[in-house]
Amino acid sequence: MIKIQSKVIKTIILAIIVIIIVGIAPFKTSTITILSTVLIYGIAAMGYNVLLGYAGQISLGHAAFIGLGAYVSAYATDVMGIPFLFAVLLSGIIPIILGLILGGVALRLEGHYLAIATLGFGVTVQQLFKVLTKFTNGFAGRIAPSAYIFGNKIKGVGYLIMLIMITTFLAIIIENILKTKTGRAFIAMRDSEHAAKAMGIDIVKYKLIAFSISAFYAGIAGSLYMHLVKYTQPDVWGSVLSINILAMVVIGGLTSVGGSILGAAFIVLMPHLVAGIPYVNTIPSASIIITGIVIVIIIRFMPMGLITFVNRFKRRVTNVRG
Amino acid sequence: MTIFLQNIISGLETGALYALAALGLVLIFRTSDVINFAQGDIAMFSTFFGYRIFEKYMSYPLAVILALLFAVGLGYVLERVFLRKALKLGIINKIIITMGMLMIIQGLTVIFYGTEDYYLRKAIEMDNFDIAGIIIQPNALFIIFLTLGIVILFNYLLKNTKFGISIRTTAEDEETARLMGIPVGKVYSRSWMIATALGALAGILVAPKTQVSISMMLDIHLKSFIAAVVGGFSSFFGPVVGGFLIGVADNLVGYYWSLDWKTAIVYGILLITLIIKPAGIFGKVVRKKV
Repeated sequence: MIKIQSKVIKTIILAIIVIIIVGIAPFKTSTITILSTVLIYGIAAMGYNVLLGYAGQISLGHAAFIGLGAYVSAYATDVMGIPFLFAVLLSGIIPIILGLILGGVALRLEGHYLAIATLGFGVTVQQLFKVLTKFTNGFAGRIAPSAYIFGNKIKGVGYLIMLIMITTFLAIIIENILKTKTGRAFIAMRDSEHAAKAMGIDIVKYKLIAFSISAFYAGIAGSLYMHLVKYTQPDVWGSVLSINILAMVVIGGLTSVGGSILGAAFIVLMPHLVAGIPYVNTIPSASIIITGIVIVIIIRFMPMGLITFVNRFKRRVTNVRG
Repeated sequence: MTIFLQNIISGLETGALYALAALGLVLIFRTSDVINFAQGDIAMFSTFFGYRIFEKYMSYPLAVILALLFAVGLGYVLERVFLRKALKLGIINKIIITMGMLMIIQGLTVIFYGTEDYYLRKAIEMDNFDIAGIIIQPNALFIIFLTLGIVILFNYLLKNTKFGISIRTTAEDEETARLMGIPVGKVYSRSWMIATALGALAGILVAPKTQVSISMMLDIHLKSFIAAVVGGFSSFFGPVVGGFLIGVADNLVGYYWSLDWKTAIVYGILLITLIIKPAGIFGKVVRKKV
């Protein structure tokens, strides 16, 4: 059998297979929505993974970026009439400004101070969503129209396929960035800031880059979420979501792009899986408890996350063949 | 002027609660190097426990004492189960562990206590009195003086007892403390027990205002972090001053400026403090060896 070396081609082939499956399989509308949600959170988690897993910077207010992306996209399409694809791009770019501000703060902080500053940042931005009614429409919420690409309405399976393509594209970009000098600088910075500085790595520059990348991905995710759900209000963008994004990255696997999507699937699917288990489904908060326990177990015993299982399985398969 | 003073007093009242919670945070951080993001939820859980006792026996002092004991036990168990074995991990991983704890506690709250709000009485239920036009609630005075009393007692114990010295030594340098024969593990447990009790006390005292509910500690939780940062993590005195400062600033900004923008402005104070004095007002910068 021909061995495919390039990770990019592997990823694309995987994406095509998934698209074909999704296209053929007679999924229910609810299943399609759940799968779309997985991918959307997966995109946000990928960006967050660059920040936490690679650059070693924690953010406990990441919902702020996703929320900003959602609002920018809603405002751009619904109020200003900007086409969907431009709106998605725009909602990736505007959170970068916010990310640069937070990154600027992060330059002076490390570890616990950064965690506290970002927690406060998240709460503050959520409060701003409530107050800036011109932009967000306050608690009445903002609506967004369906996605149109070149005049074609994209919804249901079409939207899911579009999400698969976008996710694949963004994943390949991240993998490539991480392979370059930038990625190595992130890792050096994470392992020891002082040592990285001594090696001539520009900490200021790379911290800002890490925050910008994660803000960009979060914004894109927010925009895609907005055009899937078509309605939002400030309560959605609170600390619960921020913690969930953190949980996705930790559970799926710090320092693994595929792990981020796996983690997103874990968090999104957990409530649905729990609902199917007898006895457990009578407990209203079973999924949050399980998630909490899994986070603790993973940090303590399996720091590379659930993706470890996938990798082990892959290795076994290739060994049998080889 | 009366309105101004009135605001100062209610600011001191909320500030006292921030101070209690912040003191707990700093205690845990200084001894075991953990930032406990579950502090607010542990307090909420303990307050619920106290409320249930109160509801059953209608004895407020008994309920408070049992809730505090419950918090002490909870602090001990959480530290032993979740963090003792994780000592060697980096600070970010420990933060993530406390996040996991937070999720578990929230889930358990829903199971044991549901999602409804309940009213818990004030500690002191007396008529308000009036001094030169300023209305003073006895309960507010009680909270302020109780906090001051606890802080003074705490600092006294820290300076003058063997236990206090062991805490300070561990806070200064864990390894040296170990070499000096200080049972560092006991210090961790005890500081967690004290910290969770302080948090629970803040929870019980704020309950008449926020109701006993799953989100009751949100405000105190965030503000106690800000108080700890503003006051500095390196002393046991700074976070208390930070708590009172944030409480008063919160009230004044809310009254004179804008209630809507209060959170943003107080957060602005945090950022400015961090930029001008990264170690807090009373903190000293610790240089790290590479």
